[in-house]
Amino acid sequence: MWLGLKRRLQFRLLRDPAFRFLFDPPPPGEYVSIDCETTGLNTRKDDIVTVAAVCIRGNRILTSERFEAMVKPKAKLSPDAIKVHRLREQDVADGRSIDDVLPELLRFIGSRPLVGFYLEFDVAMLNRHVRRLLGIGLPNEQIEVSGIYYERKYAGAPPGTEVDLRFMSILNDLRLPSWAQHDAYSDALMTAMMYLKLEDLKARDVRIPRGKAKPAAFYGGGG
Amino acid sequence: MAQHFDPRNAPFDRLSEDEIGVVRDSLDIAYYRPNETILAADAAPESLFIVIKGVVEERDGDDLIALRGPGDMFDSRAVVQGKSSGAFVAREETLCNLLPRAVTLGLINQNPRFASFFYLDIAHKLDTVSREEEGARFTPLLGARVGDLFLHPAIFADATETVAEAGALMREHKTYALFVTDDKGVGIVTRSDLLGAALDDRQALDGPIGPLAHRPVIGIEPDDLVTTALLRMTKHNKRRLAVGRDGQFVGLLEDIDLLSFLAGNSQLVGGRIDRSRRVADLARAARGIEPQIRLLRRQGVKVDLVCEIVSDLNRRLLHKLYALVAPTSVREAGCFFVMGSEGRGEQTFRTDQDNGLILAGEVPEADLDKFRKDVFDALELCGFPPCPGEVMVRNPVWSKTLDAYRDDFAAWLATSDETGMMNIAIFYDSEAAAGDGKLLKAAKQDLIDLMHGERLRLARFARAIDAFPTPIGFFNNLVTSKAEGDALDLKKGGIFPIVHGVRALALEKGLFETSTTARVAKLAELGVFDSQFARELTQALHYLMTIRLDAQIAEKASTSLVKPAELSTMDRDLLRDAFQVVKRLRDMLRRHFNLAMF
Repeated sequence: MWLGLKRRLQFRLLRDPAFRFLFDPPPPGEYVSIDCETTGLNTRKDDIVTVAAVCIRGNRILTSERFEAMVKPKAKLSPDAIKVHRLREQDVADGRSIDDVLPELLRFIGSRPLVGFYLEFDVAMLNRHVRRLLGIGLPNEQIEVSGIYYERKYAGAPPGTEVDLRFMSILNDLRLPSWAQHDAYSDALMTAMMYLKLEDLKARDVRIPRGKAKPAAFYGGGG
Repeated sequence: MAQHFDPRNAPFDRLSEDEIGVVRDSLDIAYYRPNETILAADAAPESLFIVIKGVVEERDGDDLIALRGPGDMFDSRAVVQGKSSGAFVAREETLCNLLPRAVTLGLINQNPRFASFFYLDIAHKLDTVSREEEGARFTPLLGARVGDLFLHPAIFADATETVAEAGALMREHKTYALFVTDDKGVGIVTRSDLLGAALDDRQALDGPIGPLAHRPVIGIEPDDLVTTALLRMTKHNKRRLAVGRDGQFVGLLEDIDLLSFLAGNSQLVGGRIDRSRRVADLARAARGIEPQIRLLRRQGVKVDLVCEIVSDLNRRLLHKLYALVAPTSVREAGCFFVMGSEGRGEQTFRTDQDNGLILAGEVPEADLDKFRKDVFDALELCGFPPCPGEVMVRNPVWSKTLDAYRDDFAAWLATSDETGMMNIAIFYDSEAAAGDGKLLKAAKQDLIDLMHGERLRLARFARAIDAFPTPIGFFNNLVTSKAEGDALDLKKGGIFPIVHGVRALALEKGLFETSTTARVAKLAELGVFDSQFARELTQALHYLMTIRLDAQIAEKASTSLVKPAELSTMDRDLLRDAFQVVKRLRDMLRRHFNLAMF
């Protein structure tokens, strides 16, 4: 009910009627897995470098219709960020303006729910520009894969259980293949796979075993 | 770039950069839960599946045929044919790349190297076979020479000859292309050129063929490898190559014959057998049979079907051979038949000549002698080595009148030696290949009557099932023989007891079926076996035959000795199950024939 109210409000605030499709009922069984690589981790100051999205339909990841774009950031690439995604200034110099990329991305996503890992961050990065364009943030439903993973693995865990929600840990725990991480498309794809597997586990009511607590670190001799 | 698709894996390594791009842009990924059917039997596949992660079972009914793991693709056969023969089911959580069928077929059409992989179906490898073995299996095929292939005759026509005359010449020589000679040299005119001229261009049938000829003619030598022929056709975009040496053309190689050699097409071989006009033609057609076995098996065709196709081809060969060599007197009075495994239709790779002749009455001795010799020579030419036990027409014991055979039956039963029993077994498995089948039926009926109700005779006949122990131990472990290099004998330990046990029961019931599978089915109908056991028995036999056939294809030194250590866990389990069934059959037969008496 509250969500309905919020959506109605957003709909009224939508500046450009050409984007009303964002409020259409989503096609059943379809989701969009999305990931951004950025100049840094500050959602107010940093900028998007690459954005990738891939549609999920039923049990399929439609990689044949993927969305990938390189964006020329306004902000400087931070040295730390370059280490993460290995994109340097000269690599993104050919990127397009976010204002060109965004309408295409929005049309790709449509009204489908978004799936992501730490999706909050990607949505916040996008929303800065989406707000400028539309007057509102992305109205799409948001599904956090680490949330589903937590529920499948740690729900009801005794207090003090060490919780590991790192991307690679989840991927390995779900025994999914891993490819070059920190490439927006690869990350979006791996996230989509996590989602399909987690949804399947949920549907079959399978829980992820927690196993025995491992020692937090290995205290080896020497220095 | 995400690496869910690795273009370095065969057959994608044969694609160009652009084609790899097409594949990348067409792939989707699908997730399957455990036990989910990915591709149902008989379903039309919408795509080619390439396993990214997980394990997929290929099933035929309840039978597990093969497993597919990461990097494996399925089902290339289904993609080409538009229908899946088996069912593909996810064994665990599985991710697959999906390459749409239309895209796959497009690549097959435009890239012959990629296509040849599909036809050869290397990807459809007999699972658990190591790479080296796979290589060894292919060497004979890819190492074949152009001269080993079926070639159309080289027929020459002058450029001034008419379209109608050229058409007649093609019909006469059963070929689709002629060499055309004029002062410019040699060209080729095909049947479709003639049809095109007459139908599309409305050219008169009495016009000369000279202007229709294609040049240049691309040639190849008989000693060249078939792979060279394939490449040359592709490179020059030609559907036929002139086969010749030193400027002398000796034949024409058509692409269809090359592809059928690589991809397998038993109908073509059958057609060639039927069309043979001389023993030499037949021998050449016969050489096409063995490659079919390899191809069919490699394409994942099950062993019982392989046997059926092969024995059908062998029967047609013998039928034709009989028509070619039998003198009229023999043809009018005789029935030419095959015995043993050939008779049961359980032969794959040709072994020995196992054949005989029954005559309704006496024929001139000279005719019969000539026939004996001619059949033997012709079969040897076709690649059938002589039978070491001389169970063949050449031996007068196996080519005589029905009455003479009847006297033999009594003699075989009267003596208690093994040879008599063996002859009964071999003869009981006979099947007519040509001539009057009623003669063979009458002889078999006599044999059945002699055994009917004769408990002692039947028991003596059945006793051979205990000649060799079942190679399975007390703890259900496979027992190997140290003397044979830690191997176990499939034939002695498994195939023979099943075949012979079933044969003994069939003889007791007076059945006329010859194949073991048909006998088992009939015995189940009669209530001798319950239907569950009948099914297990058939499966066990087929499984043992499959392992033996694969060993034959791999050209191992011995084809019935296998080393369990070299088998996969799955195969070892299946082998154990098969031997358990053999053991149960033996126990049943011991009680049934009261063998403990002996």
